[in-house]
Amino acid sequence: MGFVRLVVFGFIALSVIYLSISLYSRSVRKERLENEFDEANPDGGPAGARDAFIVEGMHAYDNSIRPKLIGLVYVIPVVAVSVITYVINAH
Amino acid sequence: MRKIKISFRILAFVLAGLFLHYILPQQDVLRVTGISDRIVTLSSFQRYFYAQTDAGEDEGSIRDLRLINTERKRTYLFGLVRMGESVMVYRNEDTGWIWPPYFKFDSSNLEAQAQAFIARPDQWVVVTHYGWRIPFLTLYPNAVSIKEVSGPDYRPIPWFNIFFFIFLMGGLMFLRAMWRQFRERSVDPLLDAAGDRVDEVQAEVAERKGRVARWMDTWRSKDNKQLPPE
Repeated sequence: MGFVRLVVFGFIALSVIYLSISLYSRSVRKERLENEFDEANPDGGPAGARDAFIVEGMHAYDNSIRPKLIGLVYVIPVVAVSVITYVINAH
Repeated sequence: MRKIKISFRILAFVLAGLFLHYILPQQDVLRVTGISDRIVTLSSFQRYFYAQTDAGEDEGSIRDLRLINTERKRTYLFGLVRMGESVMVYRNEDTGWIWPPYFKFDSSNLEAQAQAFIARPDQWVVVTHYGWRIPFLTLYPNAVSIKEVSGPDYRPIPWFNIFFFIFLMGGLMFLRAMWRQFRERSVDPLLDAAGDRVDEVQAEVAERKGRVARWMDTWRSKDNKQLPPE
């Protein structure tokens, strides 16, 4: 029973962490794209260019490896629990 | 107000420190002198400290507690200062899957190991454990593993704790960065927008008041205003 509880609550907790990190990472990327555009176009650039630049940049981000690496949030604790269980119980 | 804030922070810091001191593994250099069992009926307060019942058994307040009696090197200041010897009693309980997260299921094996060391009274070992010995509450630290070492001068290096604290600092800094980003990008714009709205409403009210006042002025007698300058 304890194992089921660990899996269920662990999954919920890790999902919260996963969502927070994804939101944070997207937010940082978006801010960087905005700053990049504003530096290149101090006058504001043509109408709609800023939004298009950001949409394109976010699309590139979504297709890169970075958002997939956040999935390690689920992998590392499972590995850690397995290693601890083995080390503690093996002789 | 400032003093309250500071004392609250110190209290939180001390509580977190005590919690970590209780829960993190510590290593004692010792000789095993015996093992014993005793049946205990745990009070609801003791229940906070003792682990769950052994994996697969029913939960209850009566249990047969396994103890490991030892004679250990006394240590102070997280093992930096050592002097003399003293007795120490460890309990030997499964922690199971939940809490604290040691995932220990082999208390019977640990008992057998400890028993084997009784026959070798000159063999020094390192016992990894967590928890505190509090005699007046009958609390024992929980032994997690036993390892043979060369002698009484062996100094264990707390690798796990070193990495744990590095990871903890990294995690806290990451959390702070996340919070700042969230405030900068989500909360502040909202507050700014709300502030702008308040400004707009206030300006509108002021203008309307101005209009009403001007209208009221039309009803006032104009004589005063048209007094010829002297």
